[in-house]
Amino acid sequence: MRRENSTLLQIENLAKDFGKLRAVDDLSLGLEEGEIRGLIGPNGSGKTTLINLISGVYKPTSGGVYFFGKRIDRLPPEKITQEGIMRTFQVARLFGDMTVFENMLIPAFTQGMGKRQASHRAKELLDFSLLGRLSNEPARNLSGGQGMLLQIVRGFMRQPLRLYLLDEPFAGVHPVIKDVMIETIQKMNRDEGVTFLIVSHELTTIRRLCSRISVLHAGKLISEGTMKEVANDPRVIDSYLGG
Amino acid sequence: MKNISEARIGGLKSYSLLLAVLLVVCLLPFWTGQYYMQVFTIAFYYVVLASSWNLIAGYTGQFSLAHHAFAAIGGYTSALLVTRSGFPIWMGILAALLSSTLMGFILGVLCLRMRAIYLAIATWAFAESVRIFISMTYKLTRGDLGLAVPKLFLGEGRGIACYYFFLGLAVVTILMIMIINHSKMGYYLRAIRDDEMVARVMGINTTRWKIFAFIISSGIAGIAGAFYGHYNGLLTPVMVDFNEMALIVIMVVIGGIRSIPGPVIGAIFIEILTETFREFGEIRMVVFALAVIAIARLYHEGAIGIVRQFAQLISRRKRAGEGVNE
Repeated sequence: MRRENSTLLQIENLAKDFGKLRAVDDLSLGLEEGEIRGLIGPNGSGKTTLINLISGVYKPTSGGVYFFGKRIDRLPPEKITQEGIMRTFQVARLFGDMTVFENMLIPAFTQGMGKRQASHRAKELLDFSLLGRLSNEPARNLSGGQGMLLQIVRGFMRQPLRLYLLDEPFAGVHPVIKDVMIETIQKMNRDEGVTFLIVSHELTTIRRLCSRISVLHAGKLISEGTMKEVANDPRVIDSYLGG
Repeated sequence: MKNISEARIGGLKSYSLLLAVLLVVCLLPFWTGQYYMQVFTIAFYYVVLASSWNLIAGYTGQFSLAHHAFAAIGGYTSALLVTRSGFPIWMGILAALLSSTLMGFILGVLCLRMRAIYLAIATWAFAESVRIFISMTYKLTRGDLGLAVPKLFLGEGRGIACYYFFLGLAVVTILMIMIINHSKMGYYLRAIRDDEMVARVMGINTTRWKIFAFIISSGIAGIAGAFYGHYNGLLTPVMVDFNEMALIVIMVVIGGIRSIPGPVIGAIFIEILTETFREFGEIRMVVFALAVIAIARLYHEGAIGIVRQFAQLISRRKRAGEGVNE
């Protein structure tokens, strides 16, 4: 049973220190179920650190992350995945010695899906994302863009996937592959109700995909709203201009 | 459709080749003398050790240097129970399996969260402790003098019985590793080796699966060690000498790490070479070490990779020839 328009992810007063550096600073943010949220900010503003904190790669210094009201910030990454949260990395991190198809099977197996069912879904997703013809190719042979696309599509093998954290998915990707990525994201959001939090510097793509945008600067949330609202926010302009 | 049928034909060819090799190995005792039958028996023991070490080092990426110690733990457990407490051999071997898997579990829990070099150092330290313990506890193990162990088969046909027994052990080990490799566990282990953090993000409990692989691998080594003791009739701390571990690594690397046939080819090849050049003494290890450096530097896939490339080259030429003819 899916809850309509309810808070999916609640981040409360989250902080993360690396020695004397505070990468995320007293950050609070909420995500509604079914939305596609953009997360932008200048380099070093804490976007990737936030993704690492939500996905369990880092443990927070203070504060909490709640998923459907359940605290998840102390859980290891594999347990967070079992809650229905997947993520991608800035640079495509694939299982290079495995084929494209085998890469797809891993997240399906970890949730107990049988090989036949997993293969069926993998084929469907690979065909939709135009990676089908590369199924038997070792993943290490893919180009940067293809690798990034596979990284995204692989995450959709988890069912149900409730929240997908995409870290710079469009960086350096060929426009044709980027269009396939956008189409895939929109389809999964529409058909399977997947919520997305997308970190990106590509404001045109973010505008195309996201209804709401959150802006980080120096580890703090400085603005939130539609693209028009944040674009006119003087704090956002200052942060991008080095203010 | 063409690809599928080509893959099937390729698979059939591989299985036919495998069966042919197995047939030759089964008939080998009728062609070779007693000496080489013994060499092959020991080679099969190393096939078991090399293949099971490949499961953790090759498929999971955990470079343990304690594999020979698990063989010794198994060997001494069975030998001591049989000689000191009068247990039947089969019970000694069962105890060897239990003791080596238990030690594998303990070492796995303690060490498998460590990374690369730290894991290698910790497992090496464990193996050295086992060696020193065996040497020091003279009253129990007879230390460097060696512990006499009741033999597995007796009588005139002992040599041939041991040959087929160790061949069977090697075949069962290889089949087991093949099954693991094609199961979900095999996928998880390969994923862990490729990128452990991504494997965790994909939902794999990496620590659990690494420990599980370590336990299986230790158990296989323990059983092999126990059978080796009952075959050889004498156990000494030399079994835990670092040279033994080095030999296992050499066999896997030269044969081809991360492949099923690699450690098999490596173990048989190196064991035959070791015996053939016995008169050269320890200099053999220097030559093997140089071969490992050359393979690590120039050709990671080892002998099996060279064979595969050669087969691909012939197949490409054959296809090109067919194309010209058409």
